[in-house]
Amino acid sequence: MTSPDPLDPALAEFITSHVSLQLAATDDAGLATAVRCVGCRVSADRRRVTLLMPRSQAAPVLASIAANGRVAVVFNEPKSYRTLQLKGRDGRIEPPLPDDAAALQPYAAGFARRLAPLDVPEPYVRTLVSCAPEDLVAVSFTPLEAYAQTPGPRAGRRLGPGETGE
Amino acid sequence: MSRALSLDRLRPCLEGIVPSGIATCGVDGMPNITYVSQLMYVDPEHVALSFQFFNKTRENIVANPVATVLMMDPDTAARYRLTIRYLRTETEGPLFERMKAKLAGIASHEGMSDVFRLLGADVYRVQGIEAVPGRESPPVAGGPALLPALRRSVDALAACQSMEALIDSFCTCLTRHFDLQHQLLLMADEAAGRLYIVASRGYAQSGAGAEIPFGVGVIGVAARERVPIRIMFPATEYAYSRMLRDQAAAGGLAERLETVIPLPGLPAPASQLAVPIMAGRRLVAVAYVESQRECHFGYDLEDALVALGSTLGLSMAACLCVETVEGAEAEPEEAAVAAVLAGEAVRVRHYARDGSVFLGDDYLIKGVAGAILWRLLQEYQRSGRTQFSNRELRLDPALGLPEVADNLEARLILLQRRLRDRCDWLGIEKAGRGRFRLDVTRPVTLHVEEAG
Repeated sequence: MTSPDPLDPALAEFITSHVSLQLAATDDAGLATAVRCVGCRVSADRRRVTLLMPRSQAAPVLASIAANGRVAVVFNEPKSYRTLQLKGRDGRIEPPLPDDAAALQPYAAGFARRLAPLDVPEPYVRTLVSCAPEDLVAVSFTPLEAYAQTPGPRAGRRLGPGETGE
Repeated sequence: MSRALSLDRLRPCLEGIVPSGIATCGVDGMPNITYVSQLMYVDPEHVALSFQFFNKTRENIVANPVATVLMMDPDTAARYRLTIRYLRTETEGPLFERMKAKLAGIASHEGMSDVFRLLGADVYRVQGIEAVPGRESPPVAGGPALLPALRRSVDALAACQSMEALIDSFCTCLTRHFDLQHQLLLMADEAAGRLYIVASRGYAQSGAGAEIPFGVGVIGVAARERVPIRIMFPATEYAYSRMLRDQAAAGGLAERLETVIPLPGLPAPASQLAVPIMAGRRLVAVAYVESQRECHFGYDLEDALVALGSTLGLSMAACLCVETVEGAEAEPEEAAVAAVLAGEAVRVRHYARDGSVFLGDDYLIKGVAGAILWRLLQEYQRSGRTQFSNRELRLDPALGLPEVADNLEARLILLQRRLRDRCDWLGIEKAGRGRFRLDVTRPVTLHVEEAG
């Protein structure tokens, strides 16, 4: 199997810019489940995307990923409504890196800034994405497919190489 | 140990304030996740999702109907997973209209008015609810406690002996017990497919007599579909200020414009709620409240007003029955004391075509209320009589009142209030059960206008 193209740099920048993050997985019986994530990083070669989430909130998601590795993640910028979905088949559960816990506060602050124009109070956002460092778990995957999901008739369109869905 | 989770207690999550995520599974086993514009409470076992576009979620649920929704409480940030199973799509009717109106608010809030158009309300059965652990904020209690407010209001309505007392008491209860400052009460004229304002609170003009056709705006849709319509954000296409502009643009004729009583209303309401007032299966009225604050009217307030409206509707229906019976037994007319007329004679014009009545150059009222006033003035001019009975109006075929449920009392109240709004020399006052008095303090000349 040939290695897929690395993620477009603009997409890599978008998904790590403190946008809203939700990750879905499916169990082998065909039931999908989801969890809100609290951080995202991309590997230096842009072939691997890692989502951070509270383990205590992700039990059904982690069980599904352990079983089959299938993941989908939706990234949404609340104000512009720009939305992107990435999918992969090789999801892996990993312990967080030493820097991941330190990235929680900047993520919460950045996400709160994005929601401020919609009159969402900052304490609300901090509560929504709070995670104890010892509760943190990571899921990484190789993005195979990218879909533009910004609402409208073109939502759901699969992005080709070099497209950013903007 | 926590009690079992009930959808009834999670309704704040279903207001569309914080977008939910929906995860589905494709035929190839791959997950798909997207944001839902609107997830709505239907009943304790069902939710509805807005269907706006054909997309992967839709493709997936048609093949595999079980999905998971991740939803957030807009006050506490508590998270819940709902396991839901797709049942059907509704493309018209009460649920569709509720969702369409609510979505208009959400779309406008998110700057998506041109994009969000409801194709259908997808109805799902809720198979499971899971509280996702994690930090939560304490819930905030806002507004008056609704059950005590409802109890006091029901008690107040029970003490009312007349249609007028019911109308005023209802409005006072909304202000005093529910802290609702801007409100309209409109009676339904089912035969004409219209509603007319009989009382209002919180506006510079009462708007008594102003009409709204069934199906137009939040109030008209609530009347047509017999379902409460509630919007949490400013929705321009449901605002009556815009409706008036549209009407003006479409009307064309100047004459048409001058026979429209302006609707009172906030220029840009941020929250709107219209509740149909039913007597059994019959629509009696619609109560409308609005606010400048977003997300001001929740599911619980809607429930409280529906419950209060049910008492109001049945009480109004009972009133109409009593009125019809007592009107038939009205005592003979007492000698009226003629008022002293002063000032210049007022030219009163009547157009038989639509029943409209003009006092001088000013439009007053049309329809049945206009026809009633014209009949009273004619009789007054002919015989000097100022005392009238509901019964004689009811028996007059020229007024075109329906034989059952004519709602004459409500029309007289509307006429009385419209006259109070518009002139100081002509009025109608109740004069005992089933009777009323015409108060005239200036001379009048009556003119029938044939031309439209």
